[in-house]
Amino acid sequence: MFHLGWFTNFMPPKSWRTHWGGHDAEEWATGKFYVDFAKSLERACFDYIMLEDSLMVPDIFGGTAEVELKHSLYAPKHDPVHLAPLLANATEHLGIVATMSTSFYPPFMLARTLATLSHLTNGRVGWNIVTSSEHRSAQNFGMDELWQHDNRYDRADEFVKIAELLWGSWGDDAVVMDRETWAYADYSKVRPIDFKGKYYAVRGPLNTLPPKHGKPVYCQAGGSPRGREFAARHADTVITAAAGIPAMKEYRSDIRARAERFGRDPDSVKLMFLLSPVLGDTEAEARAAAGRLAATSGWNAESTLAHLSAVTENDFSVYDLDGPVPELDTNGHKSTLADFFRNGHGKTLKEAASKWEIDSFPAVGTPDQVAERMGEVMAEVGGDGYLISNHGETLHRRYIGEITEGLVPALQRMGLARTSYSRGTFRENLLAF
Amino acid sequence: MFHLGWFLGNGTGMYPWYGTWANTYGRDWTKPDFFIDLATSLERGGFDLLFIEDTAMLEDTYGGSLDMTLKYGMMAPKNDPMPYIPLLAQATRHLGLVGTVSTIQYPPYLAARQAVTLDHLTEGRAGINVVTSVSHRVAQNYGYDQHLSPAERYEMAQEWMDVVSALWESWDPDAVVLDYDEPRYADYTKVHPINHEGKYFKCRGPLNTIPGPQRRPVVAQAGNSTGGRELAAAHADTMLALAKTPDEMKALRDDMDARLIAHGRKPGDLKILFMTVPFAAETDGDAQELVRREEDARRDPEAIAQRLWYLSYTSGGTIDYSRYDLDGPVPQEIGVGETTTSKAWLENSENLTLRELASGPLNYGIDFVGSFDTVAAKMGEAIEVAGPNSGYLFYQPRMSRKDVINITDGLCPALRRRGLIRSSYEHKTFRENLLAF
Repeated sequence: MFHLGWFTNFMPPKSWRTHWGGHDAEEWATGKFYVDFAKSLERACFDYIMLEDSLMVPDIFGGTAEVELKHSLYAPKHDPVHLAPLLANATEHLGIVATMSTSFYPPFMLARTLATLSHLTNGRVGWNIVTSSEHRSAQNFGMDELWQHDNRYDRADEFVKIAELLWGSWGDDAVVMDRETWAYADYSKVRPIDFKGKYYAVRGPLNTLPPKHGKPVYCQAGGSPRGREFAARHADTVITAAAGIPAMKEYRSDIRARAERFGRDPDSVKLMFLLSPVLGDTEAEARAAAGRLAATSGWNAESTLAHLSAVTENDFSVYDLDGPVPELDTNGHKSTLADFFRNGHGKTLKEAASKWEIDSFPAVGTPDQVAERMGEVMAEVGGDGYLISNHGETLHRRYIGEITEGLVPALQRMGLARTSYSRGTFRENLLAF
Repeated sequence: MFHLGWFLGNGTGMYPWYGTWANTYGRDWTKPDFFIDLATSLERGGFDLLFIEDTAMLEDTYGGSLDMTLKYGMMAPKNDPMPYIPLLAQATRHLGLVGTVSTIQYPPYLAARQAVTLDHLTEGRAGINVVTSVSHRVAQNYGYDQHLSPAERYEMAQEWMDVVSALWESWDPDAVVLDYDEPRYADYTKVHPINHEGKYFKCRGPLNTIPGPQRRPVVAQAGNSTGGRELAAAHADTMLALAKTPDEMKALRDDMDARLIAHGRKPGDLKILFMTVPFAAETDGDAQELVRREEDARRDPEAIAQRLWYLSYTSGGTIDYSRYDLDGPVPQEIGVGETTTSKAWLENSENLTLRELASGPLNYGIDFVGSFDTVAAKMGEAIEVAGPNSGYLFYQPRMSRKDVINITDGLCPALRRRGLIRSSYEHKTFRENLLAF
């Protein structure tokens, strides 16, 4: 058996321009689409929904926000922290992972907000730990430029340490609630952390009770060597865009080796591979659907290049679409850029951009076919599960239904996915197998 | 008619876990249920808003330790109020929901985006109460050695509010086009960087989300010092105010009217909600009995210690009242914390002992005592004196579900029968309802 998660973000579903967008692009901001989404995922026994986040309106591609806002690529996007209580209220078991950036949140606030969410969700909240990657977001927070890539992770290590110290600032037996002496808590068991590090100073203690059931589940997506080191050190679940079986294997063995070097049981780090299935009633239908996606390649190329421009802060609009893929560097998403390069070898920029998908392997077919292939790949790679996502414009209620009512039942019939939750917490469910 | 707000004086924290009506609150306070019950009751009562206080520290000024703080659970533990707002909105349809946001804790971009997210999730019922934080202990959780001086806090808050306001305006009303044919989601020429560079903040913008139903979420302000009044006059839609008499209410209203006009705004743009701790019951006699019991309770040594704990906190951590002789004079320093509250509490205390002060009247806003009808009549009369655009903010220091029902199902119907409060909500958004009369 393997685990299932879903990667999404709190923004207008890009399906609005397709047949299946419905009214969700007008009404997304109320959160109702996402509440329905979360309920569907729980019906299909997903471990978690992961809500990505970013903090900018990119205007790198072509020097304006035109293409960005035409496709609603990175903006508008709402703060996922405030969607989490609504998703939790509508579900009972699903883990809810919110992205919060160590570069922009004050550590005390983040520790307290996550503790609050943990109480409100009865221990079902997770933290996708990101360091952010763009100068454009840094400029919204008073900086001219974001810190250097590896330095961001050094800071994040210190940040995580502070959060954990704050969550530990109340002893397990601090709350006594003695009605005789009128004592709520024993003050000798609640201590300042007096943290003065290289980057942060926080006195503490936390002014609320620590999260329920221990620290929140940590999710991380580091792909660069420094990012992998961070993920292996801290994360309960690591998500990756490693593409193809060799890359998936390499990533897995590397993360596990790093985790062991940190003295961790590598089986406690659940590795999830991104996958965006294209499903149909018949194989031919699925192939036709995949063909239609590929046919929107002009749109794809523009979206892809604007997306890459946003997260690497290189303006891809200045390169000849019929020329080779340019060799560039970034202080942002290093591994994303490297992937694009690898895939684009020997292709023109336009070819590379129109066919580029962040996916572990192509999953096209009937639910049974795709389920079987997912099982084979997992058996060969030895990972822990899949993080389902969608191709650019395919996030709509029909697609969610294809996964939760078609693919997952097929996986369940094959004994590959769970048919019910154990009665435990988010972390216990994640570590159950 | 006047507006009503409810001041949740200990934020989304723990309300008394001991005492007759506490039930299982000590155990269950971290669940949203109590707050949801409060919100639905307030809506039944015809309230405009729930005003959720917040602080982010464990206070240890009194006695120099956390002993008292954690013995009673004073101002802590307390959860972040913001994640409660979507849940409270889901359980109600009209009530405005105001969460407290501190200008030394929140980067403006984070605060602006959070408020807009909440405005969408509440379908136009979100507000923020902009505060500058009171004590060094809060500042020390956010990287400062000491808090800024009160004057500088408000200078910073003005700039913070300018940045947040500019971010809220960074998308033109017609920026989202949703052109299904081209297709195009938004018109980039209508989304603008703000390029703010000031003394305290630097922020490029634009905001990375679209304006909500209110466009500008409701802004509340709670400081009554000159700095606080200026911040309210420049930015706020509603304001928490402390006044002990109808004449003081009028003086504050007049002062704010002049400040609003100086800022190019109209008096009707700012609703002042006067803090009140009413003693209302079925009969005048019952209410007098409540007051008598309350006066007795205040003389209890534990109650005196708690009162001194609060005085120590409002001093901003500068005066430890445990160090003074209870039967000696009241130290007259004001400190650097909630200066307006401290002044109100210390008013006319030159000839009192510290014990007399600490066991005396609460002096937190205007008191009303009597039957529901009597209190309703007095509340109406006081607003007649104060003038238009005034209302009340109810506060119950030891709030239980029983205290909430007493107001929403006892006093509110009496106010409504006199035509003093709303009997329905005409508009869809919080601000429209707040500014409706």
